[in-house]
Amino acid sequence: MDWKRTREPADAWHMTDDLHVEHGKGDPFAAAIRATRMSMIITDPRQQDNPIVFANDAFLRLTGYERQEVIGRNCRFLQGPKTDKEAIGQLRKAIEEVADVSVDILNYRKDGSTFWNALYISPVSNDRGELLFYFASQLDVSDRKRSERRITADKERFEKAVQDRTRELEAALEAQTTLLHEVDHRVKNNLQMISSLILMQRRTITDEAARQSLTTTLERIEALSTVHRRLYQSKDVSRFDVSDFARDLISDLVTASGRTHINSRLDLEPVIIPAEKATPVALIVNELVTNALKHAFKEHPDGATAGHIGVRMSQPDGHLNIEVSDDGVGMAGTVAETSFGMRLIKSLARQLHAEVEWDDAAPGTRVVISIPNEPQHRGNAS
Amino acid sequence: MIEPLKVLIVEDEALLAMELESLVEEAGHSVVGWATSSDEARRAVDTTEADIAFVDIHLTDGPTGVDVARYIGEKKKSMVVFMTANPKRIPDHFAGAIGVIAKPYTMNGLLSSLRYLQEGVRRPPPKSALPAGFTLSPAFQIVWAPTA
Repeated sequence: MDWKRTREPADAWHMTDDLHVEHGKGDPFAAAIRATRMSMIITDPRQQDNPIVFANDAFLRLTGYERQEVIGRNCRFLQGPKTDKEAIGQLRKAIEEVADVSVDILNYRKDGSTFWNALYISPVSNDRGELLFYFASQLDVSDRKRSERRITADKERFEKAVQDRTRELEAALEAQTTLLHEVDHRVKNNLQMISSLILMQRRTITDEAARQSLTTTLERIEALSTVHRRLYQSKDVSRFDVSDFARDLISDLVTASGRTHINSRLDLEPVIIPAEKATPVALIVNELVTNALKHAFKEHPDGATAGHIGVRMSQPDGHLNIEVSDDGVGMAGTVAETSFGMRLIKSLARQLHAEVEWDDAAPGTRVVISIPNEPQHRGNAS
Repeated sequence: MIEPLKVLIVEDEALLAMELESLVEEAGHSVVGWATSSDEARRAVDTTEADIAFVDIHLTDGPTGVDVARYIGEKKKSMVVFMTANPKRIPDHFAGAIGVIAKPYTMNGLLSSLRYLQEGVRRPPPKSALPAGFTLSPAFQIVWAPTA
């Protein structure tokens, strides 16, 4: 259908398809469209294949074509092999539906170079709703696209680097955790095996003194085992509660071994020490308690073996105080036989910078160990 | 006098199994079998009558102790106590087991656990205090130690 034969009034937009028509030249809006730096075209959907009927100078500058090369052609000549099919589909759909559309699309200049076109197309209808034109404006957004692409690429590269690094770290952590579990498992099993070996050996021995010696060794090994078990069963492997350990030890040595004739008096505040002090402190506690049990009640002057053992733990003024007392035979009966135990206590005390006080409590013995405990660990008891 | 326990040992370390057997027998109980893998354990479960099975998590064919516990539970043949250096590998439901004796355990800790279990199996709930180093499963905690 030839639009010129319709009854549409010839307004300024109509005239623009002919660049030399007098009518359009006098129109200030038409003049503005011609002169603006914004690239603009008008197409006529009532002609076959919706050809361009007007293109301003900015459009020609942007695309590199001459005016006579573009007038009368559908503007798809701007598309090329790398133009996104989806963007083309969006345009086609908008034209079919006679709707506005705004799309970023890769276009080709006459010389084959490309530019990113922020294309806006809008249908123009008359009062009766009849479609007359499509108005299209083009904006070269290649710079913006480039930086967008760069930002996206940077972001992707960065995300990938982060992902790679995270994977590496997770793998490393996984390996570390596996190794730690393996080592922990092995340490525990080995401690159990050492105890088992000593027990088996002890079974073959009839000499009471030799058996006693192995028992003492077993108890020391078991003290180490208990420290290890408690540390790795707790939520925080860097802290150790000496009072919990003492409770376990007393229940193990007194209650479980059937020494029902011995009463234990426990006065235990929670005492938290750093893990590196756990072993020496636990060995000292073990030494004092087993010592009290073994020797203090051996031979009461009146022949009875019933007695009391008391363990007190407190932490005044940045110190950890451990007091083990009994009402047994007293120092005279204990010191000579426990010389190695004594040496052990003294050496461990030196390692801990602790002070040891042996009192003849008459009856019995009282030993007080005072260990400096870092102020920051005070009040950490839970 | 409470009737002694018949014990099945499922443990891959010969040394530990040997010593455990001695301790169990010294305490007046009897050992009815020893298995080192989950297959051996299933066979032992099918062919013996045990009151208690001490089951290590890690056996010669891998961390299959929980499967063994589940099998014993399905057969309803005996009760299970895990005995492991890896108590964190035990599922929350304990596969129906009474609880766990964490390795390394002490000789006295084991003996008091045996006494506790003997009471628990023969005349539940046990009268003795829960031994140090013995952790009850949540289900048995409710039945055997409701106030603890």
